[in-house]
Amino acid sequence: MTTFATFAAALLMLGAPGKVESIKATDLDGKPVEIQTAGKITTVIFISTQCPISNDYNERMKALYNEFNPRGVQFVFLNSNSTESSADAAEHARKHGFPFRVLKDPNNVEADRFAAEFTPHVYVIGKNSEIIYRGAIDDSRPADKVTKTYLKDVLNAAIEGKPLPVTETKAFGCTIKRVKKST
Amino acid sequence: MKYFFPILLVLGAGLAASADLKPIDESGYARFVASSKGKVLVVNFWATWCSPCRKEMPELVALAAKYRARGLEFATVAIDEESDRKAVAEFLDKTKVPPPTFIKNFQNDEKFIGLVDSRWSGGLPFTVVYDRSGRKAHVFPGEVNLKELEAVILKLL
Repeated sequence: MTTFATFAAALLMLGAPGKVESIKATDLDGKPVEIQTAGKITTVIFISTQCPISNDYNERMKALYNEFNPRGVQFVFLNSNSTESSADAAEHARKHGFPFRVLKDPNNVEADRFAAEFTPHVYVIGKNSEIIYRGAIDDSRPADKVTKTYLKDVLNAAIEGKPLPVTETKAFGCTIKRVKKST
Repeated sequence: MKYFFPILLVLGAGLAASADLKPIDESGYARFVASSKGKVLVVNFWATWCSPCRKEMPELVALAAKYRARGLEFATVAIDEESDRKAVAEFLDKTKVPPPTFIKNFQNDEKFIGLVDSRWSGGLPFTVVYDRSGRKAHVFPGEVNLKELEAVILKLL
């Protein structure tokens, strides 16, 4: 058991799996949703209703969705926080006028699979279902100090079939509040 | 007069934390770690918006006080924006966090995260323990397990 726990911890340290063929979540009414990734560029963003960092990115996430969804990029906004209910997520989405739907990740199954640690935490999945980028949306919490638009640049490159400018970045964020699991 | 002195002490403790809140950048952090050689150094990265950080801080402060005389130095780095300085100072005062206390003043978060520890994802809280020679001895991603931290400290002191 200890060995398994150590192995699981090591996997978490290594990060997300290379290939993600589908994402399973629930809509904010509790209905199961499964999103296939084959043949599409998919952007997964772990978000929060309460985290000030995540909230500082609300407008930027809306802009990214409005720019790239019409260009064929599929977006999956996941709320994995056990401390935030579906009702909280629905109210938050309404209050901020999100043009995209937010999904719940019950028992943080997808957060664990992706090894997502904080909000906002971004993963871009290529058309072959391989994760091609993981990290931050950009390099600054205050929007007026952004100098590097990581996610935007990655999506542009992926759409155009060009080499990716970056595949992994780091940024500060609120820790995802996971459910307590018995060992 | 009997009551005046303790009141002054309380006020003094409060003032000390916020008055000593210094901005820190990448090179400043490296210099600070180097200047702490000879002591066991625990650095806690936190933010006012991080509830687990706020929750664990009083216990970290108590642990630091317990071993200070034996050569433990406890430092905090607030990952807040300069515009949040007042809220940072208020929390430090309220929680009686002793100096050295720092607030982030770096442009590139990723560079700073990498400098502190390549294994750090950027999630808060994050705590690093350096031995007396200034070498990194242990890191605690997320909330600290106090017993584990105390064991690490005792081993290094």
